[in-house]
Formats: sequence, C-alpha cells, structure tokens
Amino acid sequence: MLVYFFILALLCSLSIFFVKRKEVTNILLVLFLIGQTALSYYAYISIDQTDSLFFKFEPIGILFSWVLNLLSYTSVYYSRIYLKQHSNSVRQESIYYGLLILLIAAMTGAYFAENMAILWVCIEATTLFVAGLIYHDRSKIAIEAAWKYLFITSIGVAIAFIGILFLSIVSGESNFTGFNFGNIVLLAKEIDPLVIKIAFVLVLTGFSAKMGVFPLYSAAIDAHTVAPPPVSAFISTTLMNVGFLGIFRVYQIVAQTDAIGWANNVLMLAGILSVFLATIQLLRIKHFKRMFAFSSLEHMGIVCIGIAVGGIGYYAAILHLVFHSLVKAGMFYQIARVNNTFNSYWIKDSGNYMKISPVDSLLVILSLVLITAIPPSGLFVTEFLVFKAMFLNDNIYLAILALFLLTIILFVITRKILHLLFAPQPDDYSVKPSVDSNISLIPVLILFALSVYLVIFPPPVISELIYSAIGLLK
Amino acid sequence: MDYVFIITFAVTLVLFSLFERVKKFIYLISLQGVLLFGIALVNLLHIYTLELVFILLETIVVKSVVIPLFLMKMMKHNQLKRVHEVHVPVFYSIVITTFLILGSFLLSSYVNIPKLHTRIFAIGFASLLFGIYFIIIHKNIFSHLIGYLIIENGIFLFSVGIGSQMPVLVGLAILLDILIGILIIGIFVNKVKDRFNSIDIAMLSQLKD
Repeated sequence: MLVYFFILALLCSLSIFFVKRKEVTNILLVLFLIGQTALSYYAYISIDQTDSLFFKFEPIGILFSWVLNLLSYTSVYYSRIYLKQHSNSVRQESIYYGLLILLIAAMTGAYFAENMAILWVCIEATTLFVAGLIYHDRSKIAIEAAWKYLFITSIGVAIAFIGILFLSIVSGESNFTGFNFGNIVLLAKEIDPLVIKIAFVLVLTGFSAKMGVFPLYSAAIDAHTVAPPPVSAFISTTLMNVGFLGIFRVYQIVAQTDAIGWANNVLMLAGILSVFLATIQLLRIKHFKRMFAFSSLEHMGIVCIGIAVGGIGYYAAILHLVFHSLVKAGMFYQIARVNNTFNSYWIKDSGNYMKISPVDSLLVILSLVLITAIPPSGLFVTEFLVFKAMFLNDNIYLAILALFLLTIILFVITRKILHLLFAPQPDDYSVKPSVDSNISLIPVLILFALSVYLVIFPPPVISELIYSAIGLLK
Repeated sequence: MDYVFIITFAVTLVLFSLFERVKKFIYLISLQGVLLFGIALVNLLHIYTLELVFILLETIVVKSVVIPLFLMKMMKHNQLKRVHEVHVPVFYSIVITTFLILGSFLLSSYVNIPKLHTRIFAIGFASLLFGIYFIIIHKNIFSHLIGYLIIENGIFLFSVGIGSQMPVLVGLAILLDILIGILIIGIFVNKVKDRFNSIDIAMLSQLKD
C-alpha cells in the first residue's frame, strides 16, 4: 500500500512541477491529501501488519501520521494564502507544492519504516526537501538558512547512519527482514553493551538535528527564522516527531539491554541542557519566529526528560509531542497573520495589536495560554505527568531546576506576547486594510480547540495507540 | 592486499591537509573512490554478481567519476583555483592528521567487537575525524563539501569494516539519497557564489539573535 502512496506522491509532485498550471496543482493537491487520509485510515485498520517489505504500520507511526495528516490539510491551506500574498511566479509556486508533497510523503515513510536503513533514507530525504522549501524566498538570508540547515543536518544524519550501522552488527544476514526493527529488538540481548551504547549516542547526536534538541538544535532554529510559516509549522512539529521516532526506535532497542540506565542518563542530560539553552536564548530573544523555535527546543527537552524518567513519563512524552504539534503549528499559522499587519517578525516592530486587530489578539492570547502549559492546555497535563514521574523517581533536584527554568520561559514568552498586544504602536506603522479574512482563523482555532478537547475527553483510541507503542518498554 | 589500499587511503588523508589547489582535492576524492572499491572487493566474503555490480556502481561510477566530474563543473562555475584561507598552518595540519590516524588505529585495537575488521574500521574512523577537522579548518563552503565527501567515504569504510550487508535495494536507496544530497549541496554552493560573490563562510552570518 505504501508503495502506491509513494508513487502517487511522486506522480503528483512531478506533474505539478512540470505542468505549472494552477488548476492542475489544485486538483493534484486535493488528490494527494485524500490519498494520505486514506493511507492513515488503512494503516489503522491494518495495524501491526508489514507492508511493502520494509514498512510496518506500528501504533506510534499511526498516531504521528494522523497528526501529520491533520497538519497537511492546514499547511496546504495556509500555503495557498501565503503564496497568494507573497509570490507571483507560477514556477516558484509549483516547486513549492511539489516539494511540500514530497516532504509529506517522506515523513509518512519515516513514520512507518520498519527497516532501520529505510528509516534513515526517509529522514535524509526530508532534509533535502525541507532545504528546498526553506529556500523558497530566494533571498540572501534564505540561502544562508537553507545552506546551514542542509549542511548541519546532512552531517548529523550521516553520524546517525554510523549508529545504525553498528546495530547491523547483530542482524548480519543479507536478507530482507534481517535489518528490521522487530528483528533487532528480539536479538538485542545478544548485542555487546558497548556497541549498543555507541549506536545510541551516535543516533541521538545525529537525529537531534531533526528533533531539535541539544546538541545539534541550531540548524532547525535558523531554518524557522526564514522558512515560510506553513513550512515552519512542519519543521517544528511533524519533522521533530520524525527525529523523535528515529531516536525512540533505538531507545526501544536499548531498553531490552542493561544499558538502559545509562541511556536514560544521556537522554536526561540532553533534555535538561535543551531546556537550559532554550531559557538562556529566550532571555535575549528579539524575533517572534525564533522565540517559537526556542520554545520548541524547550518542549522537545521536556519530551527527552519524559522518556528518560520512564514509567508514566513515556506516555506523557508521546502525548506531549501530539499536543505540541497541534499548538505550535497553530501558532506559526497565526504569526503569519501578525506579520501581515506589521510586515516584520521582529518584536520591536510590533505593538498595540489588541487595538489593531482584536479578534487575532484573542487567538494570540489563547496560543500563549496553550504553549506555556497553563490549564486547560493539553501540554499542562503532559508536563504535570512528566514532573510527577520525576518526583516519584527521586529526580527531585533536576525537577526543581527544570521547573525553575520553565518559570523563566513562561515569564519571557508572556512578556514578549504582551508587548505585541499592548505596547505603544510602532512609529512607522501605518494602518493598512487587512489582507486576511477572518475565515482563515478557523483552522487555527480548530487546532487549538483539539489540543484542549483531547485532554478533557481523551478518546480511548489514542491511549491505546500510545500504550501499545510503549509496550516494548518495561 | 588490503594493507596497500588502507595505507594509500591514509596517505590521501595526509595529502588533503598538504594541498591547497582545489583541482588536487578533486583528484584525491576520485582516488579515494578507487581505493574504496579495492577495499570492498578484497573484504567481500562471498561475491554475488549483483552485489559486485552494486559496489562497482557505488564506488567507481559514483564516488570516483560522477561526483568528481560534478565537482569539476562546480570549480569552473565558481572559478576556484586555490584555497588560501586555512585557519591552521599546513605543518600543524599534517602533524594533527598523522596523530588522528595513529590515534584511531590505537583506539581500534582496544575495541573488541566480534566480526569487526579492525584495520578498516580504524581507517574509516580516521577518515571521519579528518573530515570533521577538514571542515573546521577551512573557511569556504566548497571545502566543506569536500569534507562532507571525506566523511561519507569514512562511513563507507565503516560499513565494510562492520561487515554489514544490506539488501541491494536498500543500498541503492541509500546511495541515491547521498548522491542527491551531494548534488543539492553543490547547487547551493553555486547559489551562494552567485548571490554573495564569494563562498567564504564569513558571508553567511546574518542569522543570529
């Protein structure tokens, strides 16, 4: 089934790229999105079944693919608005949509990849497509961001490949199933602990560029600053889920051996350092998109901490990823509208948004409440669970440190958002007729509402998927 | 037999830190491709025709013909002749490179993993470290691409040293990914040159807080 999906994606993307006609693009985009929805559904009904030799519909992949599917619709919708306002050349548009489709397909492939090498191939492919999308503006700063993202991530992913090669010591044989994840998990006890430690560190280092945690987080931050907001929404959410999945797979293999305690310490270190660095950087933040990017760094740090403490932390970490995806994507779509008002993402150029655009301001306040994990945000529940697990696991001092850092982050983000809403109007601001209709607020509102609804009335299917995803962990 | 290839490969690493001409970098990359073929061929346990063809494709065709030709084209497009700007004097670079190679051979003798070809593993590790070092000491992004290629060659050696045998289909996907990645990085080098009139990394410093 997945093979057909990839062929569909390739055909759609190539025909958009070569035909270069708006009507054709629209039809093919809708066709592709329907195909993706069908695949997400098919994956659920054929859960835990192998597909197309190298793929398997695993619970965690299904959950992430649902998130991706939802965000694909919204991202395509906001891409249309963004391109209408910013670019005139049909060629640029068709390249944009072609790459967007390929990116979505590559991410889907990464979610369902069962063969570790194929997982790597899909992750590397996302890098290439994202770099093209970051370069969309064709400006000098876009070249710089695209270059940095491409180069740092390529080296990171190359390092992760060495880690994956180390895992292949155990599988050995040159048949099709030898290098499958399920097979390596079974053989994990026979692996030399040294080998598995090396593999885990290399994979964590390499895929940290994708997940956006310490050590290689900087590439993703620069990419956010420049990329079109709908693409930023992908980089910050579903692409980080891809990086997480890469690390999580190897973590599950490590969890079968005695090296698990050591791996937890490494993850805890990465998580705490991520939150710490996010705090430091947020204290001197001047740019809205960079602020959101560092907020993603903080949330990914919390996910790492959640995995490291274990127990209820596993559940909380995966749920945290889902809620973070919904909220952060909405925030990036929303900031594009703010940019249309002030023509700038710099915080100093903004102010008095409450008077200029009251409806948008209410949504900005809502996003502030949700991203800083104030109830009724879904992130509140997951962060609460992570800290509960930390206190139960005798990580009290680290928990207090993390809570202290989170308080600072809460203060900084609130201050910057309040500056946007209530600061005196910037001198050079002249009132323009609004280019956005209020209809385009609805998808953001749906995403925000979903992140609250899912935590108040959690559907059992999500809990089931998460529990079977962490079933391999003791 | 593979001693010859491994030592020659080590020599190419030292030469990388000695040379300043861009053309010679490209010749060395091409030579490394041929050496990789030799190392892979000697250490292949059982040679099936399909795998032989694949390794031939990966090393000789891609690594020592297609990529160097692409680099030559880039060199002409960007009018590169010499790499003047290096952070570290050549003499120190050679000393450091020698120590990297020695260090990785010493380290590999402590690594005790069954089924591991220690010598190939060591030279792969040295190549990886040297690639990162090469990127650090150079200031222009064309040399960074060369450094990336050295890292990729190191990873190829790793995979031979570990004796990993992926299905040909998977290997082909990996090869395609890496090749497209290198082509796109190369295209971005050209774009940087066109827009900034220079490929100095100092030009790329607008993005910060």
